[in-house]
Amino acid sequence: MPLPPHLQPSAPPAPDRRQPVYALVGNPNCGKSTLFNALTGLKQKIGNYPGVTVEKKTGTAWSQHGQPLTVIDLPGAYSLAARSPDEAVLRDVLLGRRTDTPMPDRIICIADSTNLERNLYIVHQILDLGRPVILVLNMMDLAAQAGLDIRVARLSEALGIPVIPCEATNGRGLVELKLAMSRPDLPLPRHSWSIPAPIAAAVSELQASLVENDRRAPLIARAEALLLLTDQDTVRVAGSTTLSPRTLEIFQSWQKRWGTSGTDWAGSLVQSRYDAITGLTANVVRQATAPAGPNTSDRIDAVVTHPVWGWLVLGAVMTALFVSIFTLAQAPMDWIGNHASLLADAVKHRMAPGDLRDLITDGAIGGVGSVITFLPQILILFFFIGLLESTGYMARAAFIMDRLMSRVGLNGKSFIPMLSSYACAIPGIMATRTIEDPKDRLVTILVAPLMSCSARLPVYLLMIAALMPGNQVPVPAKVGLMLLMYALGTLGAFGFAWLFKRTLLKGEPPLMIMELPPYRLPRLRDVLQQMGGRAWIFLRRAGTFILGISIVLWFLAAYPKASAGANPAQQLAQSFAGRAGHALEPVIKPLGFDWQIGIGLISSFAAREVFVSTMGVVFNASADDKENTAPLQQAMGKARWPDGRALFTPLACFSLMIFYVFAMQCMSTIAVVKRETNSWKWPIFQTVYMTGTAWMLSFIVYQTGSALGF
Amino acid sequence: MSPELQTVVALVLVALAAGWLVRRALAKRKKPGCGSDCGCAAEKFKSSLKQ
Repeated sequence: MPLPPHLQPSAPPAPDRRQPVYALVGNPNCGKSTLFNALTGLKQKIGNYPGVTVEKKTGTAWSQHGQPLTVIDLPGAYSLAARSPDEAVLRDVLLGRRTDTPMPDRIICIADSTNLERNLYIVHQILDLGRPVILVLNMMDLAAQAGLDIRVARLSEALGIPVIPCEATNGRGLVELKLAMSRPDLPLPRHSWSIPAPIAAAVSELQASLVENDRRAPLIARAEALLLLTDQDTVRVAGSTTLSPRTLEIFQSWQKRWGTSGTDWAGSLVQSRYDAITGLTANVVRQATAPAGPNTSDRIDAVVTHPVWGWLVLGAVMTALFVSIFTLAQAPMDWIGNHASLLADAVKHRMAPGDLRDLITDGAIGGVGSVITFLPQILILFFFIGLLESTGYMARAAFIMDRLMSRVGLNGKSFIPMLSSYACAIPGIMATRTIEDPKDRLVTILVAPLMSCSARLPVYLLMIAALMPGNQVPVPAKVGLMLLMYALGTLGAFGFAWLFKRTLLKGEPPLMIMELPPYRLPRLRDVLQQMGGRAWIFLRRAGTFILGISIVLWFLAAYPKASAGANPAQQLAQSFAGRAGHALEPVIKPLGFDWQIGIGLISSFAAREVFVSTMGVVFNASADDKENTAPLQQAMGKARWPDGRALFTPLACFSLMIFYVFAMQCMSTIAVVKRETNSWKWPIFQTVYMTGTAWMLSFIVYQTGSALGF
Repeated sequence: MSPELQTVVALVLVALAAGWLVRRALAKRKKPGCGSDCGCAAEKFKSSLKQ
């Protein structure tokens, strides 16, 4: 049987041809990023829930002739009618409206085969662009399991473009796709659909204006005219060019004319397109076997999205996560901590006393070592997050949380950004681009950093270790305290969202429409890859940023030198860092913190985990025994107030944890909030309200606890 | 190594570290973001768009 033309080896392209640009386009969660990674060999984040990709990403794939091909992974969308900033990025790239991205020469549309009719809507709009298109039918294995028989050749014939059946997760169909991408002579689509006659005149007039005044190619102009008439085209993002005044004038005059006639022409246009798609799928999709009752995903969903059982499952998942963190990580954590101390001691015994020796042992090893100790916990956290993302459970968690979130006025789409913020607030804030309403988006940006990120984890663990020293404390007590911190952050985020939605950012109660993806078995390779990526980021950060800060902090703790005969504690007290800590002490003393903790609070404004490295540097520098390095927890246990009271009492540790739940101690987050809101007003407001709340709550906790005799 | 020489080397290292941190902070101001430290959109993807 002869192969279709797009699967036959093609002639090599002319040598002077520039690198072709391919765009990957499709609905959310249809496997675009998985395919992008498979084509380019990159490790773009993937997950089994909608809205993972919110920015365009570029990589290079290679044709069968060894020619480089630029591939752009675009955010998912159900239509080119942009309702949120991430969808606007997709629309603008495809229509050539962006100044920073080349217009794609060719488009690869990815469709979820299990729901072809819905996925073909955006494909249909893209075919209007008149550019070479390859349609990839992903998840063919799941379609077959659902009893769907898709006639690929018939679909290819109807649309006039190559259609490739594919299973991106296990690489099936990739060779065929690369063969199709390698062809210099990809055919142009030849689909047709009927536009209602009264709209045709508007399309023609707008098309002519777009060609003349906005320098669009004729077919692009027609597609853009159709889009303008379907959608109000209100969402604009930085980097996109605006339409000419003449085109806008024509568009507004048609809007006015239709407004007075009272006919919903935009709706008719959408309906005509759906009619064409329905006719198409009727010919190519057959239900080979009728589904017998609810499938496995439905049966699991009956439990995990249940109003009662759903919360219990979520609680069990979170408890399992923290039990693993406290039990599995203890041995490797002790091993790393002990070896850091041994390394510091080895340096002390091999080098003569002096500043360089102190810098290496107290600054570099003390600071970096105390942070690296928490690597096992970070790995376990991201292993769990990876598992939950790849199975599809995250979307269910969003579903059950929506009930609670809608009560405080938060958009259900806010849950994915807030969930991402458990790892780091920065991708969480970027993920708010999927939220259509600007006020809802701003509220989510303002509260997302309250979710306990992974940088807080070392601080919590250090404080729990100081609060509950030794192994005699049962694990459930530690897990309970950790859950309390995460719950406090989450409840704080909900509380402030409720407040903002009723005061600063009033708006209508939002509705959520979210697709629940089918459950999939987690792919261990992807989970380990993401976990390895996080480990590398953590170690690289420890070896660069944390190391740099630790070295500078050592200097600030060691200079100016005290007079001869001063002990290490006196030296630290009169150093630059000590003076800064003393200056802050009046503000933080009511919270149970002394000037040494104050040094940590100042330095950790750069990043929260710097608090741990700062404590490492401060307590190593002030240790009386300069020849033997004690683990940080022991050194902290010996810390005292001038009157001899223990510094790290359970109440002070708890107060410090409360402070870190709410305080805005992250410069990178502030910078990203500034970028996403395009203003300094909101990051400054966010810093003030978060840190102010942190101080107030720590004050209440410490003063109440002290009054009660704790 | 004598204590005096140790002091000189240590201070040079501190100056280098401080200079690197200042440079890093100023670079972020030009292009605010995480600097690819957090696992979100990595710089290599963003920079490739400019080519």
